[in-house]
Amino acid sequence: MQNRPAIVAVGRTKFGEHYGKEPEKLIEEAWLAASNECNVERKDLEACYMSDCFLPITNKLGLEEGFLSELTELHVPMEVTRSFSAALLTACHAIQAGVYNKVLVGGIEKMTDRWDKIRDDLMLLEDPWSYYAGGTPEANHELMLRAYIKKYNIAGENLDKLNIALAHVSVKNHANATKNKYAQFQRKITVDQVLNARKAAHKSLGLYDFAPISDGASALILTSEAVAKKLVANPVYVLGCASATDYLNYSAREDLSRFVAAEIAMKNASQMANTASSDLQVIEVNDQSTVMELVSLEDLGFCERGTVWKNIYESCQNNKNFYEINGRQLFVNTDGGLKADGNPLGATGGAQVFEIYRQLKGEAGERQVNVGNGSPKSGCLLEFEGFGTKAYVSILGEKKD
Amino acid sequence: MSSEPIERRVSYLGDRLRASRCQSCGKEYFEVRDYCSNCGRKSFGKMDDIDLFYDKGKLELCTFINEPTNKFMKLSSFVYGIISFHDGKIRVPGRLTDQLINDSDDVDFSGLEGREVVPRFRRRYSVGKSDLIPTISLAFTLADEYYPHQEYSVLTPNKEYDIPGVVGYGVYTSRFRIKESGLERAVPFIDEDSATAAVEAGKLALIHSGVDSRLVGKVYVGSESNPYAVKPIASKVAQVLKLGEEDGDIQGVDAVDTEFACKAASSMFKDASSLVSYPRSGIKYAMVIGADNAQAAPKGCLGGELDTFVGYGGAAFIFGKHDVIAEVEGWYSCTSDTPDFWRRDGEPFPMHGGRFTGDPAYFKHVRKATCKLMERFNLKASDLNYFVAHQPNPQFPVRIAKELGFRDEQYLSSLQIKKFGNTYSGCSPVGLAAVLDIAEPEERILVASYGSGAGSDAYLLRTTSQLVDKRKRQKVNVKFQAENPFIEYVDYTTYRRLKLGL
Repeated sequence: MQNRPAIVAVGRTKFGEHYGKEPEKLIEEAWLAASNECNVERKDLEACYMSDCFLPITNKLGLEEGFLSELTELHVPMEVTRSFSAALLTACHAIQAGVYNKVLVGGIEKMTDRWDKIRDDLMLLEDPWSYYAGGTPEANHELMLRAYIKKYNIAGENLDKLNIALAHVSVKNHANATKNKYAQFQRKITVDQVLNARKAAHKSLGLYDFAPISDGASALILTSEAVAKKLVANPVYVLGCASATDYLNYSAREDLSRFVAAEIAMKNASQMANTASSDLQVIEVNDQSTVMELVSLEDLGFCERGTVWKNIYESCQNNKNFYEINGRQLFVNTDGGLKADGNPLGATGGAQVFEIYRQLKGEAGERQVNVGNGSPKSGCLLEFEGFGTKAYVSILGEKKD
Repeated sequence: MSSEPIERRVSYLGDRLRASRCQSCGKEYFEVRDYCSNCGRKSFGKMDDIDLFYDKGKLELCTFINEPTNKFMKLSSFVYGIISFHDGKIRVPGRLTDQLINDSDDVDFSGLEGREVVPRFRRRYSVGKSDLIPTISLAFTLADEYYPHQEYSVLTPNKEYDIPGVVGYGVYTSRFRIKESGLERAVPFIDEDSATAAVEAGKLALIHSGVDSRLVGKVYVGSESNPYAVKPIASKVAQVLKLGEEDGDIQGVDAVDTEFACKAASSMFKDASSLVSYPRSGIKYAMVIGADNAQAAPKGCLGGELDTFVGYGGAAFIFGKHDVIAEVEGWYSCTSDTPDFWRRDGEPFPMHGGRFTGDPAYFKHVRKATCKLMERFNLKASDLNYFVAHQPNPQFPVRIAKELGFRDEQYLSSLQIKKFGNTYSGCSPVGLAAVLDIAEPEERILVASYGSGAGSDAYLLRTTSQLVDKRKRQKVNVKFQAENPFIEYVDYTTYRRLKLGL
């Protein structure tokens, strides 16, 4: 394909609670970090694509483009989307169409400013009828787990293994986050802690199965292929990017045990990138819950349906930081995932790109994954808006032609 | 602050569980749709309106919620899941209601999944004191427990009577009770109020009567615990039960709330009977509902004496001239300005005249109405099969019955105060329903209501053979609810919490 969009720099803030910082301070920090990395000045930017899921609700802040304009002293076109991947997708289309050559993609969220009402907001936005019926943001994940267990008839010893595999997802993500200075939780947890939290909650999923609420921002600079080559030695290309949608109301969907939108987005992104899932070595999935990480690996085609829990269970017996699936090593959420790195909705996808970018460039430090005798060549990220209502898949890597 | 349009739209769909079905492919949607997204443009205008209000569903998947969102905080812990209807053609989210679960309880989901559930009309969640009260029927109870599923099938009327009368009725009380010194009283679940009881009672009356809801031309709801000072319960009842001819989102029915303490509903029996008899009214059936979440100040507070007797529930009666089960032969009403019980606007609990509530209030009026009616029809106590009096406490109805010369077997079966408590506007109607549940054809019933303030309505009813024919249409009768094995007893603190509501 002609003119692959290329990422030339990434930046982010620490995720967590930023009590003393206004939202704009966070995006400023992320953008400056990216700008320093590749020596792109604000005046070079031709457009900005920014995402925030619900700043207008959490911070009563509309027209986010306005403060971004003030911040950069730019009057270029700026658009706001709800997720980082949506901003990236739109930016990629603009670059490919030849409209712009250098754009900023950013994401931001300030959830702890409204910590007391955030679950009501999240649920009402995610699935209003479920909210009216009493649903919580956690409930749909638990129902999906039930649907999965029932669909694949998992019982007895296998059910225990599935539950332990889910706990391992969280344990692995927390372990990865200890090597990530930006992560919200930089401490290890144990399988027992995860299981005890479930027991304490009297539920199938507990505190350690869910991503937290977070503040944070992330940014990247996206350019055309020609500009990228002048700016950096080895840019990371967006080889494929696609999105798909599903019903707002989870209960009305055809299959409750998977995310159809993720499957479709992956199919289309792979086609665009001309890659097979076997080419992808580092994966970032949207683990709003441990169930989501598990199901997503099947939705993305890394594993046969109904079987991934076995692979995870086996892989984690030796506390390795990768999953061994069909004889392949799959590195998933090396930054700690949403669970431990944090989940500031609008910025989350930016952190996922940040991680894949660092891994592909061999800049991930302690977290660096080595495949064969070097850093991985390609990776992908999956991001959701809502509970699987929108899915975005972006495939990043070296240009193959 | 409520958004009126949003509230209207959500409750319009959610109260009745309105749905659509494509005529060509059969796909169903939980919403009102003009076309099928499966069939596209060609299905435009070829969608059938269906609803799940009288259906039973299946709890497919469930989980336990013990940390609800803010608006559900007062429900504290509940089972939430996905309910399917019509073999999975429609799936909706829903919560199980009528369950008191501690957040430390272990809930066995496997025992719940696959069970049949019935939609219940309830309050949706908590809102501010000045907000609109949100309602919904995405609250369910297990069909094999307190409230079984009952089909609503419309009967084609086959006999027209000269004298109008009762064509069907329904009594609704909650699953919860408080038991103190031999007296059981119905306690609403936390998501119930007088409006939800009115709808549920009306639903049961439609099921029992087999009356086509489109032919109900007027609905009266008598209550003294309407959660609104201004906004009728009757409009909610009319919309949810689809009374009168439906035209878009508006019902061709007259609906009005009435208030006269405990006789707010019984007073309208004669109006309903007259209305269906008036040759030019065009109204075939009229529904009268009495429903109350009977208010009382907590024990130990001024007015708290009432808290020994107040209950929760409602009864609905449908009047008409077709397939009558009990003819209304006549009535006598009396009124005086006796201020024995009152509640000022804005006050949560009523006050009462203490020692005067019996004499001259209750006894004088009930005695007057009953005697006058018997005099008019030239009847002695022994000519009647049943006597039903208003039951503010267990003593008053017995005392007046004995005084008027009735034998135990004539009034004992009507005494429901010991099972449900004083359900205020629902009280004498519940007593009448209990008698209709067991009466034989060609029996005569005298029912005398009492409303503080004060007045009494006495009615003379004569049962017909259709009473027995229709009886099998009603599983959820008074006895079923009074002696139900799934009744749950609560202590005084829980009772006050539940009664206060969401």
